Amino acid sequence: MKARDNPFAVDRVLQWRYRPQGWDWPWLLQRLDQLRYRAAIVGPEGSGKTTLLEDLQPHLHALGYQSRWLQLTSQQRHLDTAQRAMLSPLGARDVLLLDGAEQMGRWRWWWLRDRSRRWGGLIVTSHRPGLLPTLVQTASSAEVFRQMVQHLLDGAEVPSDLEHVLREEGGNLRGALRRLYLRWAHRQEV
Amino acid sequence: MSQLTIAIDGGATAAAPNTDLGGTVNWVLPKPTDALELRLLWRTRGIGTTDMQVVDRVRFENPKPMEHRAFRLRLPPGPYSFSGRLVSLGWMLELVALPQQESVSMDLVLSPTGQEIVLPQEPAAP
Repeated sequence: MKARDNPFAVDRVLQWRYRPQGWDWPWLLQRLDQLRYRAAIVGPEGSGKTTLLEDLQPHLHALGYQSRWLQLTSQQRHLDTAQRAMLSPLGARDVLLLDGAEQMGRWRWWWLRDRSRRWGGLIVTSHRPGLLPTLVQTASSAEVFRQMVQHLLDGAEVPSDLEHVLREEGGNLRGALRRLYLRWAHRQEV
Repeated sequence: MSQLTIAIDGGATAAAPNTDLGGTVNWVLPKPTDALELRLLWRTRGIGTTDMQVVDRVRFENPKPMEHRAFRLRLPPGPYSFSGRLVSLGWMLELVALPQQESVSMDLVLSPTGQEIVLPQEPAAP
């Protein structure tokens, strides 16, 4: 199958937005306010942390905040010069959204956290709790995975081994969807 | 909701690199609109992050509520439209109403043969 026709192509997957589980947006925004916009979205890899952080942006804008986005990965574990320069003008109406905060070393994290006191907020994603008060704990589930696959296949037959696929990927939704992409990629064109 | 359409002269959906592409855009705008913008862009789709580049824009200022206007674009030398199992690259025209960002798009193949390049594929996995 051609990549552009693959139902599990990344651009299609990214259209799926975070589905709150056990909370709603008014509750989340109230809790953020209580935490003075310094909070962490915590969960394992592929459980929706980044998606939730993205989905938070329009809500912050509606509250009058500007959001700035930074992402750290295992390939880039600290802020580079340009990113640090981007932080300089941030003020009381700016909220920094930092995806992958667990990548930072302790000293660099303390430096950032200290600096964030001048800002409107600092909201991070992290694989582990403890960097900032936990706002939401994300978790993948077989049911959410099934809903995503049903949506992406748009009426086509859903594989019967979805739970197995998700388990094989250690609960990582992104990894499980990638596995399905490769399965579809090797299908013969009809 | 705005009604936006793009039509290419002759109904073409494929074009050769380094040629001119002409057509017409039409709109019906229920709300005041500052301008409309026609964008020529390519983007990738597949297993990895989507890359995208807008290579040309035509801006239509002071639009009337219902109107059509002609456009002409010079197509670049590449990249060609192609498809493999892991990544596809496709071109498109996108008409966007500003500032509300309502849009419509149409796919376009950019290739000297008029067909997207299909990358050779290894035998299917068992």
